[in-house]
Amino acid sequence: MADWHEIVRQRLSGLALEPQDRREVIEELSGHLEETFEQLRREGRTENESVQLTLAQVDDWRVLRRRIQTARAKEHIMSNRVKQFWIPSIATFVFSESLLALSQKFGPRPTIFAFSGNPAVLVFYIPWLLALPFIGAMGAYLAHRAGGPPRAVFSAVLFPALAILGVFLSVLPVALIVDRHVDHNIMAAGFLVGLLGWVLLPAAALLAGGLPAYLFLSRHLTSGRVASQ
Amino acid sequence: MIGSGVKRGTAELAVLSVLRDGPLHGYELARRIEQQTDGALRFTLAALYPMLYRMEQQRWIRGSWETSASGRRRRCYRVTPAGKKKLSPLRREWAELFRALHRLTKVAHG
Repeated sequence: MADWHEIVRQRLSGLALEPQDRREVIEELSGHLEETFEQLRREGRTENESVQLTLAQVDDWRVLRRRIQTARAKEHIMSNRVKQFWIPSIATFVFSESLLALSQKFGPRPTIFAFSGNPAVLVFYIPWLLALPFIGAMGAYLAHRAGGPPRAVFSAVLFPALAILGVFLSVLPVALIVDRHVDHNIMAAGFLVGLLGWVLLPAAALLAGGLPAYLFLSRHLTSGRVASQ
Repeated sequence: MIGSGVKRGTAELAVLSVLRDGPLHGYELARRIEQQTDGALRFTLAALYPMLYRMEQQRWIRGSWETSASGRRRRCYRVTPAGKKKLSPLRREWAELFRALHRLTKVAHG
């Protein structure tokens, strides 16, 4: 009797999927061919005839391989983006914002810096800033563990700061139009100070944890790979 | 208005309609479609699985491995809520297409 699993495995060799996915596709397709063959035999066909008719289920295995790859690869692009970017990014954002809210409610008074000749002040929540490197490291770990490339890792690390930057960039033009009574110089100074306190410093703090974590994880993985070779 | 993906829609409509009655694995699904259409619709392996994988990616169906009483492992497909939602417009499109063709052939032979 034909070894359908081996036939499918050989004809779909080079199927560019994850090993687990490839195994599943081969198992599923060989099961289908096996049942087709058994049905033909039950209908009274000879073994040779049944094999030929079963194999006729696929005209061109290369076309089938390409179509399966296209259908399944899209799924991976989607799920990879979620695992490597969105989940770590949302995790860093939620942790960062929750800690900020807790610092504001229960933490010590914020540290305030005033600049001479500038009405805008810089507000620091020290416990929050001290926690950000750990959150950055967590983002790097989650994105790296999901197999994310450096771009995904650093996007996840910096996501809380990038989200606040997005708010700043969308609020400023609106504020300039709506608050006509506020001097534009004051508005610009406030924007720059806000940018420093809420975007640049948090980004630096996140990177202070995220970058070493990424370097450590990359090196660890590389030595692991070298050791396994 | 009938959508542009009519050809692909035939197969998707057939799969969703049959799976609506209960979960089936690929071979059984192809057999059921063939039987229920008196052999008018036949799916070869090459046509069936890329379509099933695509429909799974679109979250219209969901596949999971199950072991039968005989110990054979098979991937069973079931229709998802999103797939059920997709079924109504597909049915409408097809009813519209058949009505249009019916009118057309009546005019042509009338």
